[in-house]
Amino acid sequence: MSGSDRFGFSVLSRRRWLRLVLGAGVAVAGGAGMVRGLRGPVPASPDLWVLSPREHATFAALARAVFPTAGSIPAGADQLDLAHAFDRFLADEPPWNQADLRKALLLLELGPLLFEHRLTTFPRLAPEAALRHFEDVWARGPSLLRRQVALAFRKFLALVYFDSEAVWPSIGYPGPSFGATVSPPVPEASR
Amino acid sequence: MTGQIVDLSATRAAADAVVDVLVVGSGCGGATAARTLAQAGRDVLVLEEGGDFTGRQLTQRDGAMYDQLYMDRAGRSTSDLSISVMQGRVLGGGGVINTCDVVPIGDATLETWRRRFGLTDFTTEALAPHRARALRDLAATPIPEAALNANNRLLRQGTEALGWRGEVMLNNRLGCAGLGTCLIGCPANAKRNPRFVAIPQALEAGARFWTRARALRLEGASGELKTVELGVLDPRGHRVGEHLRVRARTVILAANAIESAALLIRSGLGNEHVGRHLSLQPQLPIVARFDHDVIAFRGIPQAYGVTEFEEPAHPEHGWWGFRIESISGTPGIVGTILPWLGEVGKERMRDYPRFASALQLFPDEPSGRVRVERSGRLRIDYTLGEELLGRARAAIKASARIYLAAGARDVVVVAPEPLLIRRESDLGAVDGLRFEPATMPWISAHQQGTVRFAPSQADGGADPAGQVYGTRGVYVFDSSGFPTSSSSHTMAPILTVSEHLSQRLLATLPS
Repeated sequence: MSGSDRFGFSVLSRRRWLRLVLGAGVAVAGGAGMVRGLRGPVPASPDLWVLSPREHATFAALARAVFPTAGSIPAGADQLDLAHAFDRFLADEPPWNQADLRKALLLLELGPLLFEHRLTTFPRLAPEAALRHFEDVWARGPSLLRRQVALAFRKFLALVYFDSEAVWPSIGYPGPSFGATVSPPVPEASR
Repeated sequence: MTGQIVDLSATRAAADAVVDVLVVGSGCGGATAARTLAQAGRDVLVLEEGGDFTGRQLTQRDGAMYDQLYMDRAGRSTSDLSISVMQGRVLGGGGVINTCDVVPIGDATLETWRRRFGLTDFTTEALAPHRARALRDLAATPIPEAALNANNRLLRQGTEALGWRGEVMLNNRLGCAGLGTCLIGCPANAKRNPRFVAIPQALEAGARFWTRARALRLEGASGELKTVELGVLDPRGHRVGEHLRVRARTVILAANAIESAALLIRSGLGNEHVGRHLSLQPQLPIVARFDHDVIAFRGIPQAYGVTEFEEPAHPEHGWWGFRIESISGTPGIVGTILPWLGEVGKERMRDYPRFASALQLFPDEPSGRVRVERSGRLRIDYTLGEELLGRARAAIKASARIYLAAGARDVVVVAPEPLLIRRESDLGAVDGLRFEPATMPWISAHQQGTVRFAPSQADGGADPAGQVYGTRGVYVFDSSGFPTSSSSHTMAPILTVSEHLSQRLLATLPS
């Protein structure tokens, strides 16, 4: 078989994953009613191949935080449906990568509770607060595991987002150059 | 007799084929070996895990092309996620997705291989005809002055302003249209890579190429006939379906330093050196922002290199120091490198046409390791040592000085808290960079070692003829055998060494 270090999760020992996911599981099961309350009802998400609706909602919240609809580039994560793109991407990954990334989404969902002891979950944070949590606790935090998760997710999001035609006019990229009409770069004034 | 390229995901292959020579991998090492042996009348079959992509199939889109042209959909990395390990997976191999830089093995490196590693056969004289052949195959020529885009010119301008040395590089392009997407393939077919040189010549001599064919296991490595079990991949190359077996008298592994070693390990072959001594030759990108358009994404991405800090004849390592080379990429891949998220990240990317960027390349001690875990998962362990990180700090400072001398508004060092260097006095902050794992966009494009050539099995995984110790008739003809970094770009060295070893093998095979 070909290698499977796609997102580097193989570095995590089984014991480490177990501890983390068990922690998350205990938070969910042991905290029972309270955690269930925090998580809220299972969101509706049609047409998913790999992700559960809750996992999809967590990834969608992350995508929305990383690429909000507001700001200087009109297209946002929701418009480009980055969470569905992630679901489709996962469908072509080997089972162990699917499993690892889904565990990572559970940790992300419960991140505010597990790592900041706040009585809320990631999808329930406002996009600005979700971004702050993701940057401080995951991308820049002291935990190698959380940095790895952050790196894997943000690489996927950035690649798909900036490969989108809807984004190119705003960043001055005229698109692929091979073909009959090679467009000149977009003038700065119109970006 | 003319051979053919067969896509196994679309066409059923004959089960239990028997061939003279089975080659695993169709890149610089494998295609060269296939051509040499087929032209000598051997029945040659080449297995390639990727597909065959040429012309308009190379769409210049990040998502589709990184998915299809790179191993593990371009998601392969070291086990701590610190270094993205980029490796071609396409008919023609790394030459299809590299930036066309031609840098032959230096004499000092060969001297190191002889003196430190006992490879007395690897003399300048012995390799000279094969090196010449490699350069002919590549149609190696200096990049024309007029083809330097602003991204390259700015790097040169800053370098010259500081009085430092640099060079316009040799390349293997013919009819370059300046499309700018070399890293995800050239739809103009302007690269003189194995797909357009050695593979057609091998086909003409009767060699067959099976694409979407993943070598899974090698059995009977000491017997007259070895068996390779292969998995047939689906049309997009993501899942293994049917298993087939091919038997061969000689097996040549040329699947890159990661995969060749992994196949041996998975098959329980080779000695304790197999998988060790991995050189990743790490590279670190750096981005400068200008107040005017640069349009780095059009034209040749990598044409100018700063040589001031290279030590081509280091007494212990051969090639050492560091090198800075311009680079550019399509928006998707550039977006993965930038450190900002949220609205700030979107706003910063609006500067994309005003980015200039470079890669800082570091020859390294071959200290990494490839393993295969019990589950079958590949694991690449590699530590960025303090000595290399010291050179990285020096390289970042040098790159920043170059771009500031060329008039950059600022230079971005990607880190958890990104450094913005606007003036000389900002450079002190570089000393505070901690380079913690999974925080900076390190990449590896030139993996070497892992089955290193050595005259004794106490010191390496294969003998100087490339035969894997503990086997009879199983060889490695790719960068797996290189005991140290061969040069800043491995295409020409692999072509050279594979031709050298193929001729040597041919001389020993019964007629």
